[in-house]
Amino acid sequence: MAFLARLGAPVRGFLEFLGDQAHLVLRTLHAGLALRSGPLAVVGGQTSLQVRFTGLDAGWLVAGTALLLGAVTLIQAFSQLSGLGAENYIGTLMVVIILRELGPLLTAVLVIGRSATAIAAELGTMQLNGEVDALAAHGVDPYQYLLLPRWLGVLVAVFALVVFFDAAALGGGFLVARLKYGVTWGFFMGSVRQALSNLDFAAALLKVFFFAGAITFHACHFGLRVRRSQTEIPQAVTLTVVSALVAVFVLDGLIAAFFYF
Amino acid sequence: MIQARGLACDSPEGQPLVEGLDLALRRGGNLLVTGTSGSGKSRLLKVLAGLERPRRGEVRVGDIAVWPGDGALALAGHVRVGFAFATGGLLSNLSLADNVALPLRFLGVPGAAAARRAAAALERLGLGSVSHLRPHAVGGSARKHANLARVLALEPELVLLDGPLEGLDAPDRGAALEVVRAWAGDPACTLVVATEDADPFVGLRADHLRMGPAPAPMEPT
Repeated sequence: MAFLARLGAPVRGFLEFLGDQAHLVLRTLHAGLALRSGPLAVVGGQTSLQVRFTGLDAGWLVAGTALLLGAVTLIQAFSQLSGLGAENYIGTLMVVIILRELGPLLTAVLVIGRSATAIAAELGTMQLNGEVDALAAHGVDPYQYLLLPRWLGVLVAVFALVVFFDAAALGGGFLVARLKYGVTWGFFMGSVRQALSNLDFAAALLKVFFFAGAITFHACHFGLRVRRSQTEIPQAVTLTVVSALVAVFVLDGLIAAFFYF
Repeated sequence: MIQARGLACDSPEGQPLVEGLDLALRRGGNLLVTGTSGSGKSRLLKVLAGLERPRRGEVRVGDIAVWPGDGALALAGHVRVGFAFATGGLLSNLSLADNVALPLRFLGVPGAAAARRAAAALERLGLGSVSHLRPHAVGGSARKHANLARVLALEPELVLLDGPLEGLDAPDRGAALEVVRAWAGDPACTLVVATEDADPFVGLRADHLRMGPAPAPMEPT
């Protein structure tokens, strides 16, 4: 029996985690729908702070990473496919590798590294300082004041960053194509446009929505679980990173399978 | 205003603190909870406010089920509760003025009116000149007073104070005590004070609950 219990414990733990995530999402959705005009301005202010931190402040990091990635992708492609008419596949390569997969995925990884860690640490510290209790005691719904703005802020920021990432990666790819083969901007974009389909836009939007949710609610779950000591905060941050990364990769795989398999 | 039945709660380490407590406090009534450090006063206050789930028992505030139930969230929009914490409790990324005004905004008070009420409450507790500072930039007594100011600005129906005078020097104690006495004399306000030292509250007309070190059934006297 002890052996079976040991086998079942991780499964039970995982199911409890999923249940807690569902609870957080539903309570936050409910809190959003119940929002009255009074707190709306406060929640709006908090949301714009989150957009600034997660989106605007990460702009240069995302742009630099994407530019290099776009350039490196085409450098590698050309080095392997030279002589096979690689320039004819520029659009397909950029769409399949960058826009479909690496754009949303790497943006999510950067947001997990910058923002999910910050959210988990901030909420953990607030728990220890009794700030979350103080909010609830005085009629300030923590789902409205803490979770909803973070979710909305991360959602808007991830959407903007994915668009920014894709644009910068296309720019990096174009630079290489231009220098290597003298490809014109019109030919490059025409090739990309030809390879793009409505399915790609739908898949990207779905990824943005689910990645933003997974990042926010993993960070909130582990941050709000901090109870007694400051040593729990780095543990919460580590768990957030590992768990959110796994969730994002799993979601990416599921969406790719759903749309392209 | 508060009804508790068969209440049992433990310390965070799982040690029983309260066992089988029945409590009834009418609207406008006052209750003084005394006991040594670690006897469970703060825990009891948090259970009554809906912040900590009891191991067993029921709590109703203003005829709304808090436990079993949604805890403090069940009271939002129904009963105005003010809770002054012994330590912490102020949002570290907001100024003292914004800390005091935040619950008012969630009550639906417009921004300008909330700022006016917050400023008046902070001024009454001598914090007018530091109201723009964040909690980490002011001293411990100012943080305690800011906790009281937040409760004051809210004009609550139920006030829960955890060690409101602890760690304060004589002038600050005087200012805090004056505010506490005003709540105690207000028939629209129900007051619960948890303290180790009952002496400063001698003149207060209040029921008295003594928390013992050992878990035993308790009745208010």
